[in-house]
Amino acid sequence: MSESLQPQPRFESPSHYVRGRHSGNAQSVTDAGLVVTEVNNGCYLNLRGDASNAEFNAAVLSVLGISLPLMPGTFVANDTEYLYWLGPNEWLLVSAQPGQKREADLRAALNGHIAVVDVSGGFTQLNLCGPSLNLVLKKSSVYDFEEWWIQPKNDQRCVQTTFAKASALVIGQSQGSFAIIIRRSFTDYIAQWLLDCAADNGCFISP
Amino acid sequence: MKQKNRLVVSGRTDPNQPINFTFNGKPYQGLLGDTLASALLANGVNVVGRSFKYARPRGIVGHGPEEPNGIIQLGSGSATVPNLKVTQVELYEGLDAKSVNGWPSVNIDVMGLVGVFGRLMPPGFYYKTFMYPKKLWMTYEHFIRKAAGLGKTPTEADPDTYEKLNQHCDVLVVGAGPAGLMAALEAGLTGARVIISDEQSEFGGSLLASTQRIDDQSSTDWIAQTVSAITAMPNVQRLSRSTVFGYYDHNFLTILEKRTDHLGINSPQGARQRLHRVRAKQVVLATGAFERPLVFAHNDIPGVMQASSVSTYVNRYGVAPGEKLVLATTNDNAYQTAIDWYNSGRVVVAVVDTRQATNGPLVSHVKDLGIEVLQGYGVIQAKGSKRVRGALVAPLNENGTKVTGPVEQLKCDLIATSGGWSAAVHLSSHTGAKPIWDDAIVSFRPGISKQQERSVGACNGTFDLAQGLLEGALAGAEAAHLAGFGDGQVKRGMAIVNTLEEQPQQALFLIPHTLPSSRAPSQFVDLQLDVSAAGIELAVTEGFESVEHVKRYTALGFGTDQGKLGNINGMAILANALGQSIAETGTTIFRPSYTPTTFGAIAGRDIGELFDPERYTAMHRWHEQQGAVFEDVGQWKRPWYFPNQQETMHQAVNRECRAVRNSLGILDASTLGKIDIQGPDAAEFITRMYTNSYLTLAPGKCRYGVMLKEDGMIFDDGVCACISDNHYLMFTTTGGAAGVLAWLELWQQTEWPELQVYFTSVTDHWATATITGPNARHVMAKVCDDIDLSADKFGFMDWRDGTVAGIAARVFRISFTGELTYEINVSAHYGRYLWEKLMAAGAEFDITPYGTETMHVLRAEKGFIIVGQDTDGSMTPTDMNMDWVIGKKKTFSFIGKRSLERSDCLRDNRKQLVGLKTLVPTAVIPEGAQIVNDPHQPLPMAMQGHVTSSYFSANLDHSIALAVVKGGLNRMGEIVYCPAADGSSIAAEIVNSVFYDPKGERQHV
Repeated sequence: MSESLQPQPRFESPSHYVRGRHSGNAQSVTDAGLVVTEVNNGCYLNLRGDASNAEFNAAVLSVLGISLPLMPGTFVANDTEYLYWLGPNEWLLVSAQPGQKREADLRAALNGHIAVVDVSGGFTQLNLCGPSLNLVLKKSSVYDFEEWWIQPKNDQRCVQTTFAKASALVIGQSQGSFAIIIRRSFTDYIAQWLLDCAADNGCFISP
Repeated sequence: MKQKNRLVVSGRTDPNQPINFTFNGKPYQGLLGDTLASALLANGVNVVGRSFKYARPRGIVGHGPEEPNGIIQLGSGSATVPNLKVTQVELYEGLDAKSVNGWPSVNIDVMGLVGVFGRLMPPGFYYKTFMYPKKLWMTYEHFIRKAAGLGKTPTEADPDTYEKLNQHCDVLVVGAGPAGLMAALEAGLTGARVIISDEQSEFGGSLLASTQRIDDQSSTDWIAQTVSAITAMPNVQRLSRSTVFGYYDHNFLTILEKRTDHLGINSPQGARQRLHRVRAKQVVLATGAFERPLVFAHNDIPGVMQASSVSTYVNRYGVAPGEKLVLATTNDNAYQTAIDWYNSGRVVVAVVDTRQATNGPLVSHVKDLGIEVLQGYGVIQAKGSKRVRGALVAPLNENGTKVTGPVEQLKCDLIATSGGWSAAVHLSSHTGAKPIWDDAIVSFRPGISKQQERSVGACNGTFDLAQGLLEGALAGAEAAHLAGFGDGQVKRGMAIVNTLEEQPQQALFLIPHTLPSSRAPSQFVDLQLDVSAAGIELAVTEGFESVEHVKRYTALGFGTDQGKLGNINGMAILANALGQSIAETGTTIFRPSYTPTTFGAIAGRDIGELFDPERYTAMHRWHEQQGAVFEDVGQWKRPWYFPNQQETMHQAVNRECRAVRNSLGILDASTLGKIDIQGPDAAEFITRMYTNSYLTLAPGKCRYGVMLKEDGMIFDDGVCACISDNHYLMFTTTGGAAGVLAWLELWQQTEWPELQVYFTSVTDHWATATITGPNARHVMAKVCDDIDLSADKFGFMDWRDGTVAGIAARVFRISFTGELTYEINVSAHYGRYLWEKLMAAGAEFDITPYGTETMHVLRAEKGFIIVGQDTDGSMTPTDMNMDWVIGKKKTFSFIGKRSLERSDCLRDNRKQLVGLKTLVPTAVIPEGAQIVNDPHQPLPMAMQGHVTSSYFSANLDHSIALAVVKGGLNRMGEIVYCPAADGSSIAAEIVNSVFYDPKGERQHV
């Protein structure tokens, strides 16, 4: 390798340029109505396959240790792997493993008509919590998230929907916090939106 | 300051909290709890505006959204708000309001004395007068608007913020009067998610002004108790100052919540207004009713008011809007107003009742108070100019159609009128339910419901309080049950209300005069737009029969009050003139908005930089730091050009263009659409989408393709690379990415589901840096040591996996400049790092970042088309001189193939892509310019085509253009002209569209 190169390429997450920004009177995670924290460890893989094929299901289980979620709008997770239902034959895998390794693992185990695509550079996850969360969700999306709190179900829930004027995979998390998985190129817009619509009680984006 | 009409018993206003305000420049004082209307009445302000056509002085008539006259402009400057109703503006310290209808001033009679407009403006005036000459319309319009005064829009940006909220609930209750409160209470008790919305400042509706006792408590106490029970339920959301103004399909309703309007303009506390977009499983409408005024001569003189409004001002606000009352009525219900007025300590001159013999308990009670009741009489005319001075009364026949005896005058300064009640069926009507006339209640009722909704209480035609409370309770329980909560049974006991039985009312709308309507002094139906009974009758005489036509011809109900008072009377008068029943005549359709809605609330926060999302590439901040000027490409921000200090755009683009051809340029190409395609049938599928074949494309190879719609016209273009067997990567145009993906999915899912292929968007995943120019390979060699870069191992239209600047990368040798080019794709997390490394490595070659403008010039030099710029949806590949891209030997068809054989696609004078070289080298033709053969021919000239792209090429030192010219490919060497609007024209020679390196030698290195 040429001398001009640094040994370790510099990684910039999608929220790189908005981290630490805040609105309203919020100065820190403790006094903000909405706290936004980017979580970006591991990889995002788009997985396609035939859910009615038992072999396909079994192979996914063997590689990831979790079953494919088959119920629309749900996800299945363990400590390191998250599988989100996106469509009848499409899932998003968020894994703590490196993308290349996970893609290779899956390709080795899966047969037939499948697709595995590494989209790690294209997505990021923002965790949202704080007292303004309910209001922020109502401002941001036409989906009825309040119902998730009122009528909790056994399955963990997620939904692909509009978020402001972008789209997002919105994920219900424990203790009333939510996460959104959004496209990289919309991150600045979404951050601007969140800072604006939670400004009354302050919004803080974790550094 | 003395409020001469303020009563000792101040109702719900607070005598200890005076509030100062200004109306038409004059200072006044009101009380906390007042509306602007009640405060003006307390101060004895008679005239609040001037009428639209006749400029007659007008006073306050109502107490809510029905008010037709008291239309004001609030504040000034950027925060000014036009066309508010005095009855809906809560008083706050420093409030400054002006009448909108009144020029030069409400108290000066210029217009009124001249009466110019009244004489000039019979019904249908616009249609009759302004047909010809057409060009004078703007002049008429301007003059009329100035004279009539319809409020002023602010000239500066709105300083307030507005926001939108999406709400979901099981039961939405509209209106927090007695029926609505009961519905919300019962629905809430089931645990259902309930929203109750009311447009007033506090819940209670009509009960706020009522002396009625419920459950042995005063109305006030009953409201307090009920509201506190509702407040205790966390599943019930209460919205006051919130008007449900639209009811749309799928039980979608919109609510405008006024959050800070009552605190004064420029209030700093958060959003001024909130637009709630509610999706409700079930809806209970409890929107109440409007009292119908009686129509009689000069019924527009200030001091003629709604009977219920008089009671409201007395009971709720502690204001008596006058001294001596004459009550004109057709029903028992309004007698309560005489009682309220009597109790306020002022004089009731007489109750004038159109019914011949009435002896119900309310009537007896009034008589017992010693009040004179004239039975079988009507108020046929009001006397006075800026204030009522008397009422002309006369005996009527039994039907109320004729004056039967001598006219006498009663001295009074206030005439309260009641023609019964009209159910507020507006929201029900929004859903498409056609209101049904009911003679028994002399009102429309809601039509058959088309949504999951029901109407209760007065808006359902149930004007009795006890019945309304019961209906509300039942509906609340039922709605919750249908939404999945409770058993549908009412939980609370029935409210006990001691109401006095009412005798039948008379269905009478227009009180006759001794003269026919056409000769009598004006009998106003729609006060805001000066529509009179005579005007409606004239419309009928002129041949109008449909209520919708008469509405538009006379302007009945067109004002900002939407005819809440006038419509029913107008329809009744129309029905009478047509000799048919009201049921046969029907009503006009009510549409959103129920009350005027601010544009700010509809826009919400989707303004300024949040109006449309801005998409950034991973290198965006670097471009910003370099001072790039950006261009919008779809939602993406792309660098347009990178000016050095002092450089003009032209200079910057020339410099960038030369740098690429002479040494090295670098472009951020991350925004190009990228679709990952996998599956055993991927190659077959792609081959059906593009005009050329991909069946033989080997891994490591790329191919350029053009995509057509079924009509054979170019839709998108780009390069497709074979990654491995059954795995491809398709590049699309930046703007076309989403459309192409949807197009692929459409064909796979609906037409060829048997083809096994999956598509995944990877546009955001890859950041792409394109280095291009003769020195590109030298730079690549410095940053990449695991790809053999030699021309024979990594040639034009190849791609390779490798490591660039220490990052895993896919490198493509595809070129949009015609130069040696490497398009380096890495995970976007490393996009900026890659870019900086390439800049460092290219420094010795003066690597030059360039933007979309230079990209456009360079590709135009090469004659490469841009879909959407050189094509417009009506161009085939053949038109673009790209026959070579159409696969002739494909076994399966491709989309658009059949259309290419249409005779129209084969005709030889189609517009075809050619180059234009101006005869004057520096003359740049405007893009979009029309092309003609002879610039001196008479107009209209015969068009030969148009210019699609045009630039000055620094590399050729010559202006170049791409154009589509009829039969252009056979016209090489001909001179054509591009005329300009100023009469000049630019002459150009038709040449081949490839201006630079026609053999493509520079990219094949």
